[in-house]
Amino acid sequence: MGSSASRTGPHTLDPRTKLVLLLFANLMLFFHVVLVTQLVMAALFLTPMAVEGRTRMASRFAVAVAALTALSMIDPDAMGVPQLHVVSALAVGVSMMLPCFMTGAYAVATTSASAFVYALRRMRAPEAVVVPCVVIIRFFPTVARDYRSIREAMALRGIASGAAAWLRHPARSLEYVLVPLLMNATTVAQDLSVAALTKGLGREGAHTSRTAIRMRACDWGMMAAATLPLVADIAGVV
Amino acid sequence: MEPTVTPQTPDPTTASSTDALHAGTGRRNGTGLATADLITIGVFSALYFVMVCVATLVSTLFTGGFGSIFLPAIAALISGPVFMLLDARLRRFGGITVMGLVIGLFLFVSGHFALSFIASLVFPLAADLIARAGSYRNRTLLLVSYVVFSYGLTGPILPLWFMKDAYVASLEARGKDAAYIEGVFANINTGTFILAMTAILVCALLGGWFGQRLMRKHFAKAGIA
Repeated sequence: MGSSASRTGPHTLDPRTKLVLLLFANLMLFFHVVLVTQLVMAALFLTPMAVEGRTRMASRFAVAVAALTALSMIDPDAMGVPQLHVVSALAVGVSMMLPCFMTGAYAVATTSASAFVYALRRMRAPEAVVVPCVVIIRFFPTVARDYRSIREAMALRGIASGAAAWLRHPARSLEYVLVPLLMNATTVAQDLSVAALTKGLGREGAHTSRTAIRMRACDWGMMAAATLPLVADIAGVV
Repeated sequence: MEPTVTPQTPDPTTASSTDALHAGTGRRNGTGLATADLITIGVFSALYFVMVCVATLVSTLFTGGFGSIFLPAIAALISGPVFMLLDARLRRFGGITVMGLVIGLFLFVSGHFALSFIASLVFPLAADLIARAGSYRNRTLLLVSYVVFSYGLTGPILPLWFMKDAYVASLEARGKDAAYIEGVFANINTGTFILAMTAILVCALLGGWFGQRLMRKHFAKAGIA
């Protein structure tokens, strides 16, 4: 989620469409759709991913779908190994959650922070939700950087911070890492507040956005295409 | 563009804030929280989200395919300090609720089960009310609040209970006998359910106690708690 990825190219779906796809993936899980529907929906979910240039991600998910479908097809009773039920039950379970993972990975990988925030505003999410979301996206990379600095500082003082130290003294290691992180977080919260208020985050009234989002024909097409098999399945046509 | 502003509601509890920033913004979003408060909540939510990610990783390492079964317990074990410091910094109603809600939103967007959203709203809200009963200072109530808050993460593990149904449906669709699998899962389901829920309780108590100990040891001394 970088600002450099905020280009709204002709093939990028609207964040709201991505949310709808996420909802559909959840409905699939809820209604236990049959295998055919699962495969059709998987193909539909993977299409925008591939079109937007995430071919590696799409092909990985395609392989996962194929492998899990094959595993869930095995017949433990016929093979005389009832223990294999565990394997095929797991395969069915994971393939059931896979649509959620697919749409989630797609949404996270292709949505810029500003598009996400603007979409939240357009959906009239309260400011109490929007502002913390902005801050999380902004602050997340800082945590990783802080953690690296803390590890360096620990190394400088000769305090072990590797995996072995975590296993031997989990509570102490957690304390050594968390306390500086939290101390820094309180400072950052102050700094961010000053910066954000200076930039007018606390202002009343409507806020403008540099990133524009718009529902296009491909958004409506995608939603319609994904609705059809789902409704057909739930209605029991398939 | 729609204006999202609600009329200002003067709140006697926020008027006493010593933080100059709060006095400066004056903006209340119908929640009694100023923008500066929301930013504080965002920073701590980010840290909490990091904890949840770490917990997911650890839980997946230990339990393999049943990935997130111990996710809430491990998250409860390690995020006590984050929760306690947020309460100490904010001491205002809404912080815990918003943190749970926003984490639920991020979990949903990153592909977790949508019903987890309900858990991440109801439990943090209850936790917030409990903490408020002790004015965000009473240690026992804060600990109870943390335990309740920790159950807000049970959402991501709910699909495990759908898994059996899905497998039975898949067996029946292929014309197989599902009696065997029904029997096996009956034990696993109740057993794991009780185990997972007890684990959350124990881990949240430990994690909350650890958080409060860190508060006294480090943050109270430094004057930021």
